[in-house]
Amino acid sequence: MNIVDFLNLLVAAVLLAGVYAAMSVGMTIIYGVLKIVNLAHAGFLMLGAYFVYELYTRFNVDPLLGVIFAFPVFFLIGAGIYWLLVRRIPRSDQPTLPSLLLLFGLWLVLQNLGYLIWGNGDHAILTPRTFSTFQIGPIIFPTVRLVVFGAAVASLAGLEFALHRTWFGRAIRALMQNSDAGRIAGVNVDRTAQIAFGIGIAFAGAAGGLLAMMYSFTPDFGGSFLLRAFVIIVLGGLESFAGVAVGALILALVETFSILVIPSGYQPAISFSLLVLALVILPDGVAGLWKKRQRLA
Amino acid sequence: MNFLLVAICAFTIAGCGKGGKSANEIRVGVVMPITGREAKPGQYQREGIELAIKQINDSGGIMVKEKGKKLPVKEVFYDDASDQAKSAGLVERAMTTDEVTAVIGGYSTALGEAESVMPDRYQTPWITPGAAAAHIFSRGYTYTFGTLSSTDLLGYTTGEFLGSLMDAGKLKKDLAVALALENTDHGVEYGEGIQRWSQEHPGYFRVVFSEKFDLGGTDFSGLLQKVKGSKADIFLADAHLQDYITMERQYIQSGMYHQMISYGARGPDQDARKALGDATNYIFAGLWWSKKLPYPQVKKFDADYQAFAGHEPDSYYPAPAYDAMRALAMAIEQAGSLNKTAIRDALKNVELKDSLMPGQVLRFGKTGQVELPFVIVQNKPDDKSDIVYPRDAATGEAVAPKPRK
Repeated sequence: MNIVDFLNLLVAAVLLAGVYAAMSVGMTIIYGVLKIVNLAHAGFLMLGAYFVYELYTRFNVDPLLGVIFAFPVFFLIGAGIYWLLVRRIPRSDQPTLPSLLLLFGLWLVLQNLGYLIWGNGDHAILTPRTFSTFQIGPIIFPTVRLVVFGAAVASLAGLEFALHRTWFGRAIRALMQNSDAGRIAGVNVDRTAQIAFGIGIAFAGAAGGLLAMMYSFTPDFGGSFLLRAFVIIVLGGLESFAGVAVGALILALVETFSILVIPSGYQPAISFSLLVLALVILPDGVAGLWKKRQRLA
Repeated sequence: MNFLLVAICAFTIAGCGKGGKSANEIRVGVVMPITGREAKPGQYQREGIELAIKQINDSGGIMVKEKGKKLPVKEVFYDDASDQAKSAGLVERAMTTDEVTAVIGGYSTALGEAESVMPDRYQTPWITPGAAAAHIFSRGYTYTFGTLSSTDLLGYTTGEFLGSLMDAGKLKKDLAVALALENTDHGVEYGEGIQRWSQEHPGYFRVVFSEKFDLGGTDFSGLLQKVKGSKADIFLADAHLQDYITMERQYIQSGMYHQMISYGARGPDQDARKALGDATNYIFAGLWWSKKLPYPQVKKFDADYQAFAGHEPDSYYPAPAYDAMRALAMAIEQAGSLNKTAIRDALKNVELKDSLMPGQVLRFGKTGQVELPFVIVQNKPDDKSDIVYPRDAATGEAVAPKPRK
């Protein structure tokens, strides 16, 4: 492999990391605050894809603008689902069986709703941006992937800012660290959890919109991303947003470059192996390792 | 207590009655994916089967000699959701609880493979109109039949087509070919067919790269980089619809070019053309059937299908399913009985002389799989496509090499 091929692969891996980070962050927020593994995450990715698709095909709204519209719409959907369903699950510091079953059931309902509305055909968003690329020397940058990467970075940066510079962000972080202490300090746990769930679903919907710019989708869409989202949040540390970015980058780099030595038919095995390795060697993820180093220092 | 006992007995008897065989109809199990990854082809195949059933019933049903009358066909349908375990389970359910006379099912090789273990176990004929891997039919099963020719032959025909372009001077000889194959028997056999043709016809092309990829992939950039690195002139992949769309998008985005491109049996699919637009132009596909075949029965089927389903037949999907049901009906009539072994034996000798498939005569080979020729179809601009091979069925000229823009 020459240096140009290597650089092209590196660019592909970094841009893929952006996609992975975008789709994982919503799951991390929900887990961090509510200690719930959102198995319905894939369903909201799918709904987000169709939301942006409908805006584009019916009203000619640019998909990128559609992604921005998806944030408030899916926030409201998420907050509504929390109020209707999630708040009824008994609170726990660990994911519980009722929460897993409830959200898995919700995923199935969303899938079937998708089939009811959009049928079983493959849908896709085709814009002049879809195939456009630009080159810096011999390195090729697909515009869509760059846009998705930029949107993912902007989302993560916005979230980091909100979590560290706003009262509400501090409330979320307090709940992520210790919900009882947060309650004593005056945090309205139920309201904060509802908003956090809404934000998590908003990120899932927006990520679905971003993915729709790159992939074709059916109501089954999102399932293959769900496993990767698990790997990323375990790698990154279950409650860390910076960890999500690092986890996404590690997974994308390993998946992309391992193909050079392992046939690509084994790509899913790479994700599974990483998940197992992370659980055994780094149970608190990269973020845990970082915290440990800080404590030792 | 007594009331409870009576109620349980009543429910049990009622349950048995529901699954029991009716003397006044022929129950045919249909197991297809209507949801999940294979939903669209599964839907088209179901529509093909249902059209055949409708036409059979409209003509009074199937004559069963031992009953002394025509019996209507009753479809027992199950959606396997593109899930292998579910697919096998539903075929088992149809063959046992529903006591069907035969099952038509298994779109895609993976689902067909899962289903194919049931027919001999329950001695019930099973016809697959969607699983093409010869591997399924090489295990010595006697109740399995298939209306698609093997994917090995698809690969071989692809080689033949490329060779014909070289003979015609459209492509130079001794070109390098890169293969990207889905990690299933379908993909493996497709690759074997191409390699076989290449070895039997030295000097035409050589395979310089061959690698398998996982179904439902989200990123093919690494694989495509390896294809690029192989410096091949021709890129041949064997992929399902979603992988075809994802891979072709990434192929274009990575600025690659090959003189000829194929994704196996995918190419003219409407969803792909919507998703990829002009990027699908000049991609060629080896198909088991095309609505452009110049047979009168194909034209009639096209019109009937549109009236029945409300849309055009997409790609090859509905035709082998339609013929599977018609072959089954013919076998039942020839058997003169609803005895499953008799129907199995009749299927072995069935000759559907007005078949929609290339060659117009459908008969099952020794293994239970048909051995019909393929047609090569090439996408053209403005959503058009032509049969470009074999010459006697061609509706247009093959464009080779593929224009760069």
